[in-house]
Amino acid sequence: MNAQSKPRFGKGVKLRREEDGNVMLLVPEGALVLNRPAAVALELVDGNRTLGEIVAAVVERFDVTSKRASEDLCGLFERLAERRFLE
Amino acid sequence: MRPLSLLCELTYRCNLQCPYCYNPIALRAYREELGTKEWSRVLREAAELGIVQAHFSGGEPTLRPDLAALVSAASAAGLYTNLITQGTFLDDALLDRLLESGLDHIQISIQAPEAALADRIAGATAHEKKIDALRRVRSRDVALTLNCVLHRRNHDTLAEVIALAEELGIERLELANVQFYGWAFRNRAALMPTRDQVARGEDVVAAARERLRGTMEIAYVLPDYFGEFPKPCMSGWGHEFITVAPNGDVLPCPAAAAITTLRFENARTRSLADIWKNSESFQRYRGTSWMREPCRSCARREVDWGGCRCQAFLLTGDAGATDPACALSADHPIVVALRDGNGLIEPVARRA
Repeated sequence: MNAQSKPRFGKGVKLRREEDGNVMLLVPEGALVLNRPAAVALELVDGNRTLGEIVAAVVERFDVTSKRASEDLCGLFERLAERRFLE
Repeated sequence: MRPLSLLCELTYRCNLQCPYCYNPIALRAYREELGTKEWSRVLREAAELGIVQAHFSGGEPTLRPDLAALVSAASAAGLYTNLITQGTFLDDALLDRLLESGLDHIQISIQAPEAALADRIAGATAHEKKIDALRRVRSRDVALTLNCVLHRRNHDTLAEVIALAEELGIERLELANVQFYGWAFRNRAALMPTRDQVARGEDVVAAARERLRGTMEIAYVLPDYFGEFPKPCMSGWGHEFITVAPNGDVLPCPAAAAITTLRFENARTRSLADIWKNSESFQRYRGTSWMREPCRSCARREVDWGGCRCQAFLLTGDAGATDPACALSADHPIVVALRDGNGLIEPVARRA
């Protein structure tokens, strides 16, 4: 995963928004509860947007530097891709 | 406290006779299965309680003619749906109906990487049908996990199981060392892997994970009797999971019916929410206040939650004891003796 990657969800992976606004990533054998920046980032995943665009959107919404957001989100997306939740 | 996951054990009927099955041995109490309307109500109640995923299992859930209707009911309630099957009945027509009903994920189990051994373990001619089902599901737009339960009779074929998964283009492989409940508990002497097998298995899995990183996710369930600490069973009793047995009994763990000192409520007569919040069975071992030493003062008490209540009961007769799988348990020598048994090949008992 890098800034040019266009991530999309793997098969059997879904986002779920709760009534209280919390967002979960539902995957074949479980559910991951997402923090706010991760939720915003994953809600932008559509197979068209680049990871760079997603990082920029998160920087706009949260009090975080570009460098930090980029490192954190690339790490998160990389881990999710390794588990086949993103591709 | 909110449950996240509902395991629907639709039936305990099955055409295979795997010696490691965790189903109860006495099945008389489960013949009166919940009907379609009752299951649909349970699924709606589960969604209202905050559950996000429904897993359909058994027994063999595809033996229920209303399986697709139940998947529809779960999807309509907003639940993520998962089918856990041995695959021998999964033809194109059934697959069509299930996918139209909104099924999100299918898990198919095999017994070994080749038919002769696999069919000997399953006690039936099944392997080739399973491989057909795996190819069929693989060609559809649905998530698929291949599962293989590991024990003494197939542990040495681990590398071939992984190779078969690669050949089939599997993206998620679950290699689960047998856990000793139900039939597996009865057959534990025959199923217990050797120390050598476990050690070699870990090396094979580590190498495969490295080689297949990003291509295949390999989940490896550690063998229960070989670690220093017990598994955090169910993430704690009554914390995240609800199991409903074929007759409607509502259990904190799929193996809990073995605990004869507890009485379980039934979904026919009480709502899931009432049972979750108020029943004696769900409250009995929830949290940490029930714990005795060595759990009570243990730094890991909220890591492994005292281990597995069912295992504690099966091995010591006391469901409130520390799981003997824990090296700190006074009963740990029981596990050591079972694990380091003489290694003789024992006959297996099979379900009818």
